[in-house]
Parts: sequence; structure tokens; C-alpha cells
Amino acid sequence: MRQRSLIAITAALSAGALTLTACGSRNSDDKGSDSGGGTTVTIGVDAPLTGDLSALGLGIKNSVDLAAKTANKQKLVDGVTFKIQALDDQAQPSSGQQNATKLVADKTVLGVVGPLNSSVAESMQKVFDDAKLVEVSPANTNPALTQGTDWATSKKRVYKSYFRTATTDAIQGPFAAQYLINDAKKKKVFVIDDKKTYGAGLAGTFTAEFKKLGGAVAGTEHINPDSKDFSAIATKVKNSGADVVYYGGEYPQAGPLSKQIKAAGAKIPVVGGDGIYSADFIKLAGASATGDLATSVGAPVEQLPSAKEFVANYKNGGYKEAYEAYGGYSYDSAWAIIEAVKKVVDDNGGKLPDDARAKVTAAMQNVSFDGVTGKVSFDEFGDATNKQLTVYAVENGTWKPVKSGTYSG
Amino acid sequence: MNAIGPVEPGEGTQDHPLTNPGTPGILATTAAARPLTRLYAAHRRAVHTLLAAVLLLAGGGYLYATRPPATPPTTAELPYPAQTVDVSYLGEVNVPPGTRPRTFAFEVLLGVQSGPAVTVTRVTQPYDGLSLTSAPRAPFRTESGAARKIVVTMHVTECGKVPRDAGLPFMDVTLRNARAIQVQSFILGPRYAHDLSHALQVACSNDFP
Repeated sequence: MRQRSLIAITAALSAGALTLTACGSRNSDDKGSDSGGGTTVTIGVDAPLTGDLSALGLGIKNSVDLAAKTANKQKLVDGVTFKIQALDDQAQPSSGQQNATKLVADKTVLGVVGPLNSSVAESMQKVFDDAKLVEVSPANTNPALTQGTDWATSKKRVYKSYFRTATTDAIQGPFAAQYLINDAKKKKVFVIDDKKTYGAGLAGTFTAEFKKLGGAVAGTEHINPDSKDFSAIATKVKNSGADVVYYGGEYPQAGPLSKQIKAAGAKIPVVGGDGIYSADFIKLAGASATGDLATSVGAPVEQLPSAKEFVANYKNGGYKEAYEAYGGYSYDSAWAIIEAVKKVVDDNGGKLPDDARAKVTAAMQNVSFDGVTGKVSFDEFGDATNKQLTVYAVENGTWKPVKSGTYSG
Repeated sequence: MNAIGPVEPGEGTQDHPLTNPGTPGILATTAAARPLTRLYAAHRRAVHTLLAAVLLLAGGGYLYATRPPATPPTTAELPYPAQTVDVSYLGEVNVPPGTRPRTFAFEVLLGVQSGPAVTVTRVTQPYDGLSLTSAPRAPFRTESGAARKIVVTMHVTECGKVPRDAGLPFMDVTLRNARAIQVQSFILGPRYAHDLSHALQVACSNDFP
């Protein structure tokens, strides 16, 4: 009897344990569903895939590719397969405009990620807007692209099809000025820019804030982006007595500029924006770049748990080039397009409507999701609502974060 | 062989230890247990069933209570505090009568959107000519999903070392959670910039040109 009771108890306990274990092991791995999917949606990419800025451009292209593949793998949009078409703008506005026209002509393109350069964006915006084709830039920082040319006094959105995930220079320039005055205790700056939309605009927002904070401008110069010999300007910097140089432009010029300024005897840091925040800047500037500074959009990747999966998937994706400064923003830009397409398909009974481009553009305004770089959504101008910035310094041959800020205005 | 099982002894025929007076250790409880013994003898099947049910519940409860969590969060998976905290500007607030001159105050809202609770260990501002205190005084803790108003009171110590018209002034807030401790600059936007400039111009009206 005792033995039988023991067997009964053991059996009962086992049954109970199995029942409870079964309850505990139930998970939510039920994403997506099988579909016979026959629709292909193309996400266009425009970036410099060759030339001096290709390191950043290829990081953008690869990251968009990863987003498309991830959405397909997850079957995120029933019946829709995403593919990308990447075009090379060589950082030239004319090439960008031609690419925009080409992408508009392809009716399977429902959204475009890019470009890298603000000057290129200026040439593309109207082409896309006329076709109601949504464009999400991961890297453009010039405020005028979203807020109009009079953004400093009167913000006005010009193109409803243009969005961006990057923070603008209206914040980036002043943030650098605040850091240099308050933290680095610099008082006298020499300002140089490359006369382009991005570089000149960034130098402008920096200089205005630097002056407001009581700093002095020891001199200003413009460089020719096609040149690599900046020795004359380096000498001017040395003779000006400046304790810091601010450069509005990109790393292909900023690297040699930093090197030549130090070689001229001015042992002062060169500071720039996201355009110089690249490993290639350090390669070009050499050992004397230690102490140089850059602001860049977003928080450091290692501080974003959401970025870990992206970094791991990018690595596993077998891409040859690094995702660079805009990888996370490019992935989020592509994902925003994917989310907008999903919304349009869901609202239309599981199919793409005839006026899909206009619908996707309209849906983009209300897209909201937790992305690689944090919460992704857009304000009334098409700017990212998530506005974080980080100051990086060159230390031991690499960029190290030294200060991070969040804009909540 | 026919699955009936062993024949059970009839009630009262079992040589049960509880009824054996020759077992000293048990004897001490025998007198008190005698009614229970009779009850057990009378309802042995029911008692066994009840015992099985109790053991099942206890065992099940134990398994349930000690089940592994679905996704045990490790420290490395927790978000950095700066990624979970929002600080937004609410506006100016009046300082109490009798407060020393060149003092003004603002109110900000600090919210913890997700992740573990966050403790603010320090609130500062970057300008040499200003000192700052907060109410509540740091350190103070805010739970996830909660927000609290903070009154930031500033005192001008030297008008020559404050900005007259900063475009994007910020506050540095030291945040600590189970993941990390970090200093984050919160750029509070144009309204804060305007109010700060105005307050500084009032406080330093004799010093600003």
C-alpha cells in the first residue's frame, strides 16, 4: 500500500510539474506568418559609394541592406519582400539629382535612404517631393533641409517627403561651442570651412554660439575641398594665437588639415562635426591627432543596448566595410520606411494600394518604433525627435566619447 | 499478473507502529495520537488521497516558485541611465521672499521612461559665474515609469563669468542606475535659453554693457 501511494504521489507530482513546466515554457515566438508573398518593394539608397567619403557611404548601404534582409527574414510585412537598389552619388549634387530621377522612375521604389551630404540632399529633395517618394536621410545635418532657409528666425517645412534620423547642426554646432568654452576652457578659435552646405552651415552655428558664450574668433578661412595642401592656412592658424581650430567639413580634408596645422607648430586641437567622426580621419591626421575632437549624432553605440543586436547582425552579415558613423541611423531610416510600408499594407487589406508612394510618405509622419539608436519618430518638420549628441576625442589612435548630451527643447 | 495488486490487510489488522507499545520513541505521542490513529485507520484511503493532493500542491508550488525567469536580465543588458531619462524644462518659478539677491529658479521635469530606477547624484551647470542647488537635494531616486519635478535654484557669483545670451545652455545631471553611473548634458531648448538669459540680465543689469 505504501509503495502504491508513493507511486501515486510521484505520478501526481510529475504530472503537476510537467503541467507547470509546460506553462512556463510557453513563449511568444510567433512573429510573422507564412505568406505566398509576390510583391517586391525596393528601398533606394543614395550615398557616396566611391571616392573620399565612400567609407561612410558603404556603411550606409550595408546597414540598409541588413534592415531589408532582417524584415524579409521576420516576414514583417505579409506578402512583401524588400530589396535595395544602391546608387553612387560620389558626394556630388548633380549625381545625386540624377540618382533621384532614376529612383523615381522605378515604380517598385517606395522609399529612399540617403544621402550623406546635405549639399546632395538639396539637389534631390524636390525630385522626390514631386513624385511623393519618401526620403529618409541618416546623415544630413543642415537645419535648412527640414526647417527652411530662414530656420534661425522662422521655421517652415518645405518638403513633406523629406525626413531624417540625424540631429541637426542647429544643435551640433552650439553643443561643440558649449563644450569648448565650458569644459575645454578654450577662448580663441580659428574657424575654417569647406564652403559646402554642410561645412559652412556647421561652422556658422558653431561660431554664433562660441561668440555668445564670450569666445573670440581669431580668424576665419575657407579651403578648397579639392586640395590637400593647407600649409598656408596652417601658418595663419599658427600666427593667429588661437587655442583651438574649428573645422566645418569632412574628414578627407580635415585629416590632412589637422596634420599640417600641427606641423606648422600650432599644437592645438582641431574640432569638427560628424563629418570628421571617422576612423579615416585619424589615419589621415596621424599621431598628432591625439586630442582632436568631433561631435557626432547620437549616443555612443556601446551605451545603447538596442545597438548590440545591430552590431552583432552586421558582423554576421559578412559586410566587408565598417558601418561607420551612420550605420545605426541608416538601419533605422530603412526600418522607418519598412514600418511605413507595413502600415500602408495593413490599412489596405494586406495589399499595396495604387498610390502607395503618397500613402507611405503620409504614414512616415506617424512612424514610431524602438530602433538601433533609440526611439525613432519624427516631428512636424521631419526631424528626428530623438536628439542626442556626443563629443569624441582622439585617444590612443581611436575616438573615445568624452561627453554626451540630450536635446529636449 | 492480473493487475489487481497485492491484497490489503483488513482494517484494524495491521501491525502499525503507532499501535505498538513496544516502540519507546513513539509511545510518548501515542496517547495523544490515539484519536488520530483511529481516524487514520477508519479513513486511510481518504488520508492518502489528501496527503497526495497536499504534496502535489506543495511540490507544484515549489517548482512554480523556483522556476527560472523567462529572460533573466543581467547587468550588462540593462540600459544606461542616460538612455532612459528625460529632462524637460517647465518654466521659471519664484524664489521665496528674502532670498539673497541675484538668485532665480527654474522647474524641470525628470522622468525615467524604462529600465531600473535611477538616482540623480548631482545636478550642475557649466558656467563659472553661477552656483546651483536643487530641490529635492541630490541624491534622490526616481522609479521606472515615474517622473518628478525638480526646482533648480541658481545664484550668480560673478557676472563676468556668465553668458549673456547662450543659445543652447544645458544642465549636467549625474545619473546612476544598476547599469552605470554617467554624466549627461540635458540641453533644455530655446525657452530655457531665453529664461536663463533674461534672469542673468536682470541679475547682472549693472554689470552687462
